[in-house]
Amino acid sequence: MAFVATRYAARTVGRNLRRTVLSIVGIAIGCVLALFMESLNRGKGELIARAGASGGVGHLRVVPEGWRERRDVRLRLADWQADLAAARAEPGVVLATSRARAQVLLAMGTHVVPVEMVGVEPALEPKTFRYVQAMAEGRYLRDGDPGGVVVGRAIADRLSAGVDDEIVATAMGKGGEIQSAMFRIVGIVATGSEDADATICQVARPDLERFLGVPGAGEVTIIVSDYRRIDAIRAALLPKLAPGDDVVTLSDLTPEIEGHLAQDAATARVISAIILLIVLLGVASAQLAAVLERRREFAVLSALGMSGTRMVRLIVEEALMLGVAGALVALAIGLPLVWRFARGGLDFGRYLGGSYSFAGVLLEPVIYGDFGWWIAPYVFVVSIAATTVASLYPAWYAARTDPAVALRVAQ
Amino acid sequence: MAGRASPEWYRNCLWYSQMRGRAVSWCAAVAMAGAASAAVGAAIPQAPPRPPDVEALLTRIDDLYRSTSSIARMEILVTGPRSTRSLRLRAWTRGEEEALIVIEAPPREEGTATLRVGDNLWNYLPRIARTIRVPPSMMLGSWMGTDFTNDDLVKESSLRKDFASRIDRRSDDPAGWWVALDVKPGVVGRWARIEMLVSDDLLPIEERHFDRRGRLARTMTFDEIKTLGGRRLPAHLTLTPTDTPNQRTELRYLDVRFDVPLPDDTFSLSRLERRP
Amino acid sequence: MPGFTMSRIAWRNLWRNRRRTALALAAIGLSVALVLVYDGLLRWESDWLLQTITGPMLGHAQVHAPGWRKTRDLDKTLRHASALVAAVEDAPDVADATARVYAPALAAKGEEGFAVVVIGVDVERESRPTRLLAGVSVPDPGRRVLMGRQLAEQMGVRPGDEIALVGQGVDGSLANDLFTVAALVETAVDLVNRQAVVMPIDEAQQFFVMPDEAHEIVVYGRDAERAAALAEGLRARPALAGLDVLDWRALAPAMVSLVDLVQAAWIVVLLLVLIAAAAGVANTMLMATFERTHEFGMLLALGTSPSRIVGMILVESMALGLIGALTGTAIGGALVAWAHHTGIDYAALTGGGPSSLSVFGMNWSLRIYPRLALVDVTRAVLAVLATSVVASAWPAARAARLQPARALRD
Repeated sequence: MAFVATRYAARTVGRNLRRTVLSIVGIAIGCVLALFMESLNRGKGELIARAGASGGVGHLRVVPEGWRERRDVRLRLADWQADLAAARAEPGVVLATSRARAQVLLAMGTHVVPVEMVGVEPALEPKTFRYVQAMAEGRYLRDGDPGGVVVGRAIADRLSAGVDDEIVATAMGKGGEIQSAMFRIVGIVATGSEDADATICQVARPDLERFLGVPGAGEVTIIVSDYRRIDAIRAALLPKLAPGDDVVTLSDLTPEIEGHLAQDAATARVISAIILLIVLLGVASAQLAAVLERRREFAVLSALGMSGTRMVRLIVEEALMLGVAGALVALAIGLPLVWRFARGGLDFGRYLGGSYSFAGVLLEPVIYGDFGWWIAPYVFVVSIAATTVASLYPAWYAARTDPAVALRVAQ
Repeated sequence: MAGRASPEWYRNCLWYSQMRGRAVSWCAAVAMAGAASAAVGAAIPQAPPRPPDVEALLTRIDDLYRSTSSIARMEILVTGPRSTRSLRLRAWTRGEEEALIVIEAPPREEGTATLRVGDNLWNYLPRIARTIRVPPSMMLGSWMGTDFTNDDLVKESSLRKDFASRIDRRSDDPAGWWVALDVKPGVVGRWARIEMLVSDDLLPIEERHFDRRGRLARTMTFDEIKTLGGRRLPAHLTLTPTDTPNQRTELRYLDVRFDVPLPDDTFSLSRLERRP
Repeated sequence: MPGFTMSRIAWRNLWRNRRRTALALAAIGLSVALVLVYDGLLRWESDWLLQTITGPMLGHAQVHAPGWRKTRDLDKTLRHASALVAAVEDAPDVADATARVYAPALAAKGEEGFAVVVIGVDVERESRPTRLLAGVSVPDPGRRVLMGRQLAEQMGVRPGDEIALVGQGVDGSLANDLFTVAALVETAVDLVNRQAVVMPIDEAQQFFVMPDEAHEIVVYGRDAERAAALAEGLRARPALAGLDVLDWRALAPAMVSLVDLVQAAWIVVLLLVLIAAAAGVANTMLMATFERTHEFGMLLALGTSPSRIVGMILVESMALGLIGALTGTAIGGALVAWAHHTGIDYAALTGGGPSSLSVFGMNWSLRIYPRLALVDVTRAVLAVLATSVVASAWPAARAARLQPARALRD
């Protein structure tokens, strides 16, 4: 007898094609919307992590002993070359580059500007620090072209200097001796944010070494392929480093990013809940409408002897079938859409003047949707849950109907 | 005001980085004043003006500021757009590493002292009876709220070694010679070119400093020739940046003694806190 | 245009089939309610963002001496600051104005000196809610200062400790004195927490020898969104001639991008939400109308003209849409009003998320107070109303073309 219910359900579905199609389309649209929203939510997490990666902070950073307590730019790694090699060899790491920093005073004539000068690897740095990918004037640093410096526009203005000008850099070098060196401005960066501009001053790391007389790198910045594996990679890398050296994560370096990730995830959950509610509502009401119109049909079935339980099962099975069909349609429509979203991203740049600064870190306002194995299960769960819940009231209602009453009313 | 990215306040504390300069080698300070000072002994004016030997001239200038130790009293006047500030100081130096400066006037700041030993810099503030160590980050920068910079004072800048020089032309009023100095390639320094006016006594009258872009950045004038510490020097120095003509720094030497023996405990914290 | 009779029939139809009507009303009403709840959250986020950005540090607009912003030179001050503040407060649309002093200095508890910023403020005004020192109690007068928490940690300073402050006065003189740290502050501004020593402005003016002078005047209007107009108005006033007057957007362009980005992102989501709601309503109306084919067939057989049927359906769905939308507005509005009154603790809502957040050097606490603007309601109601009418138009038109016999058989 169970089989009869199923066959009946199947035939119902086939019989009133328009109603069925309408149902499935309705469910599918709801699911696609929910899917898109979820993809967007997950993509925002990637956005935030990317902020860290491309803003120069990196996903992970190898730092010298004692750096956690006092963030002194003069500290140097115990063995930076070994650390760099270990980082590069670690699976999951896309990129690792070394840096050294110093507090310097730049001078041009009588104009003086204090900055933090960063010694970098010119070939790799643009991949970790987006804003030196494009120069407003001049060009970026090049290997084998010593003595060049790249500064932010605000610094160049305060120095009253431009590309090809020679400036004097003064710093406390080895043994506390004051050291000076000449650098030639090869490029000027304009980030669009004056505050950010005032912090950009880069030279090739060997140049900084020579300038200060202090050898070595103070940090190794690491970019990983999947930001969710940051902690795992950190744990794997730590024992492979020179003794004393430590690894800090994006969250350690910019705790506010962690907070924003959490807040964003939380907001996303609230939004998802609202959208799912709306979808559920839509699906449920449509199903209800359909079922309500079938009162006579149910009355007839009841009069013919179908038990209440069977009728409930009938309706629920119909709902399940619709749910599955709806999910399949949703996937058919949604998968290519989300794929395009994941590849091409949603560019908010049009609404903004370029990019915006977040927690001291500059950000590209493109959100890439997330595309992964989670999609299919998500769609199925949403669809089936919606249709099943939607069928509960009609099922109960249909089972309860007094066939005589129902048949009597000329509906 | 983006927070994280701009801890600029302390860096912009020019005054404090200026304080650091007080502890700078006084040999160089004197050298500034006597950057083109006369040969040892009085210079004898020649009747027919003959251009001096540039190499010899610059050698004398470079050598003049060297001393193993010194004690000096000087006056500094800083004129700014809003105010004029006058200080009288007493300064002890030894080598390039040690310096002690005590303010004698104005009374409000009397007794304030700065001590530099190696890479450490302390200030003693008598009014609150405290000694405070200046953090390294504030130790760079210009000197004493003046327009002098560390480059001017710390570095063993050598006019002879760092610049290619030649006599440019004769000046009749004031009587002297214009010397053109162009920086040699590979030299670290702010000035691409210096034009110096030297009197017939081979004492500096005026110096013009041109930045690396060839723009006149500042002008120094020298006058009030006196004999100080056995050397004949202009005692009064005025430094005026071109960009801010209503702002200038003046240095006046009241007396100087070179190569004097100094007690061992001169450059110590206890000495710092002891009122002179 | 359906006649009066048709309208009455339409109305009666609604009442006759209570369940269907109730269902449609529920679908429409709840959709509207949910959209309004979302709107409420969105508005709150926008308000919160603006308030957090402009409240503590930026204000709606600021006044500076020309050139101060670039180099922050101590001596580029606003003279006769108190008169200026009074002049600013006299201007229309200005709710409040207060002056500040910023000066670099060296602070030391023992022998170790630390680079700090001394910020002189009107402590009473700035300790009002949403301002810089919100919630902080005003220290007693007499060389008592507040210190940023992180700075204090770095220096090893606790409340009650004495510190030396050394700085340079505007006249170039050496400013130095001993101060007592009355309390540590954790403000919404990272810079303050990490580097600042906060003192009453008159004490700062005395310390740095700048009587009745200030570096900045912070101006608050009535609406952060109209800051540009506020700044424009101030610039025109004779008392402020020659001074730099900028609204918060010009002062912190990075913030503008953040606000715009957040709003853009949420509007995209709003579109999704509206589409979802519309889809739900459409689905319901379509379904409901299609199910009545039999009924329409009957009417057609009885001689009703097709246009009358279409008209009837349209009237029904308009009525449904209106009633549903209004009900939904009432529910949604009530929810938002209640949430606005009590506030929702974000951390609790999201299951242990952060209770505060540091972005852009500012700490934001997460308590939600949604609110609605008229445009939100109008937009939601219109969208849903339009959807329900359009959604029933198609089946209605289809129904009108039916052959009665076939329809009856359905």
